[in-house]
Amino acid sequence: MDHQSATAPLLDVRDLRTWFHTFSGTVKAVDGVSFTLAPGEVMGLVGESGGGKSVVGFSLLGLIDPPGRIEGGEILLDGEDIARASEERLRRIRGREIAMIFQDPMTSLNPVKTVGAQMDEMLRLHTDLDEGARKARCVAMLESVGISRAAERLRAYPHQFSGGMRQRVVIAIALLASPRLIVADEPTTALDVTIQSQILKLMRKRIAETGAAMILVTHDLAVVSEMVDKIVVLYCGRVVETGPAREVIANPSHPYTRGLVDSIPNPKHRKPRLAQIPGAVPDIRNLPSGCSFRPRCPRAQARCAEVSPALAPTRGTLSAACHFPILEEVAAAMATTGGERA
Amino acid sequence: MTTTRADTTLATPMLEVENLEQRFPLRSGIIDRLTFKGGRPRLVDSVVHAVNGVSFSIAKGEVLALVGESGCGKSTVAKSIARIYTPSGGRIRIDGEEVGGYGHRQMLPVRAKMQMIFQDPFASLNPRQKVRDIVAEPLREQLEARGEGNAKARAREAALALLERVGLNAEHATRYPHQFSGGQRQRIGIARALSVNPGLIIADEPVSALDVSIQAQILNLMMDLRDEFGLAYLFISHDLSVVNHIADRIGVMYLGFLVETAPRDRLFSAPRHPYTRALLSAAPTIDPADKAVEMELEGEVPSALALPSGCCFRTRCPFAFDRCTAERPRLQDVGDGQSVACHLVDEPERDRP
Repeated sequence: MDHQSATAPLLDVRDLRTWFHTFSGTVKAVDGVSFTLAPGEVMGLVGESGGGKSVVGFSLLGLIDPPGRIEGGEILLDGEDIARASEERLRRIRGREIAMIFQDPMTSLNPVKTVGAQMDEMLRLHTDLDEGARKARCVAMLESVGISRAAERLRAYPHQFSGGMRQRVVIAIALLASPRLIVADEPTTALDVTIQSQILKLMRKRIAETGAAMILVTHDLAVVSEMVDKIVVLYCGRVVETGPAREVIANPSHPYTRGLVDSIPNPKHRKPRLAQIPGAVPDIRNLPSGCSFRPRCPRAQARCAEVSPALAPTRGTLSAACHFPILEEVAAAMATTGGERA
Repeated sequence: MTTTRADTTLATPMLEVENLEQRFPLRSGIIDRLTFKGGRPRLVDSVVHAVNGVSFSIAKGEVLALVGESGCGKSTVAKSIARIYTPSGGRIRIDGEEVGGYGHRQMLPVRAKMQMIFQDPFASLNPRQKVRDIVAEPLREQLEARGEGNAKARAREAALALLERVGLNAEHATRYPHQFSGGQRQRIGIARALSVNPGLIIADEPVSALDVSIQAQILNLMMDLRDEFGLAYLFISHDLSVVNHIADRIGVMYLGFLVETAPRDRLFSAPRHPYTRALLSAAPTIDPADKAVEMELEGEVPSALALPSGCCFRTRCPFAFDRCTAERPRLQDVGDGQSVACHLVDEPERDRP
């Protein structure tokens, strides 16, 4: 996928704030997140639990329920602000413009409807095709995600499929109405590794074929580095770093991303001890002053407690929200082997 | 106290498992069991063959990892050894003592040598017990069983020291599990397992539920404790990069069979069994440029209710030939500490796609 900086972005998220008003205080799950996505681009939204990555995904589809609310910011899809769209309008957007693939294929399919009925519903809602054409499209789509005897399988119920097959069905449904954006929230986390590689390969191939853009929400940096063009790293509801995938993983400039990458055991560079980020993610209702990562950060200084850093260019193609970013290319684990290979 | 591998080679292994089998009958309703074969109604019992003749041993101070995908029986092996299940067949020797047929009461002294750490730190701690009591409980049980006086106070005192050792502090002792994060809870589980000073810890996916930065903390702690107390681990995991970091030796399981076992570096550099090779190819890595995709698997794992004849992997194996259907391959030594259950070992000329 090529980056065409000249093209207008398909998606332009500006200063998105999604808060949850709970009895024990306001949870600012997403607090000022901005990014853009070009048509056909694949982006990874990564971070640890509590980072806010899933809430960003749900916000894009207008799936935030009370006590949660989009408090501010814009979600521009082709220039239209869907953060303020009516429920009626959102129903037309979901499935046709933006489709979602959830983590657990068992709970995202309706257990009492056949797979065929669930696929047909998508086409009935979003296209003018007649019944015969809809069925043909469903069969073709199931075959394209690697399900054999597709016409027969349309009459099967979700429980008659294995986990990997169910996730294929979910992907088929997501692609049916040819959406321009697919939000995939941990699509392979519940799957075994040999099945995961099948599904990732399938998603990469089908998405490249349809030209859709995708946001891959995941905690797994290894999955991200095999799949995406660009990465947005979230910590405590804010973007801490963003840039091209290879660069973010090989040579991150934010200390949090650096810590995250170093804490993954790397067989190529085995060390007796893993690098670890001390402490734990703070309670999001009670964040430290200034930079949220400050209490765990090896580079923190007095200024970090006073001023919350804004996202700014740091090195090369990277941007990070850090007062003291890593400017030199660290000759650590990844740097020695990262980069190109013919 | 540290143990090096050299001085333990002659000693009794910490754990020996021989031909372990674990079957679970599915007791479903009479309607489900009813079939009409040859025109006659019949009741059929279905049995899950979870573990089918697995053998391995762990030396004192050694880390053996069992890897495989869900349903391969790796957790069942762990739970059979911890005697959460009663094995259907085979032998389990802990520090030389055969415990496969032991009852609850007979197991109690054995539990001073073997403890378990569980995957889910949210489900494995009693929410109504204070942390101090959770950690003290195994030792208190042991002291009471030996009829030693003042068990409760002694166990509590030991618990405080252990909490400190695993990176918590004395203030935490009177709190309840819900007041801790996942990583801290796993530390509590580790302190509890250590309380009886065991020689063997069975760890069933101990870091799978944790975020990656916390995972590194717990893995480091487990390795430090191994060096300090000379612990042996049976480490169950599906994550190859974690296993590569922590294990001395690795066993690969598929459908309840041990298909390959080898020293760590050997397994990663020269895997022999086709399933091991496919597993290594499929694992995602943060360094995709370095990745050599050797083979990709089609299809999914067969049901453990009806095992394939012959080799368990033949239904997905790109190399399968007639002998694989007819004859179940046995685990055979191929040198350098590596053992493989595959007919390709005898007929290497077939090993090309």
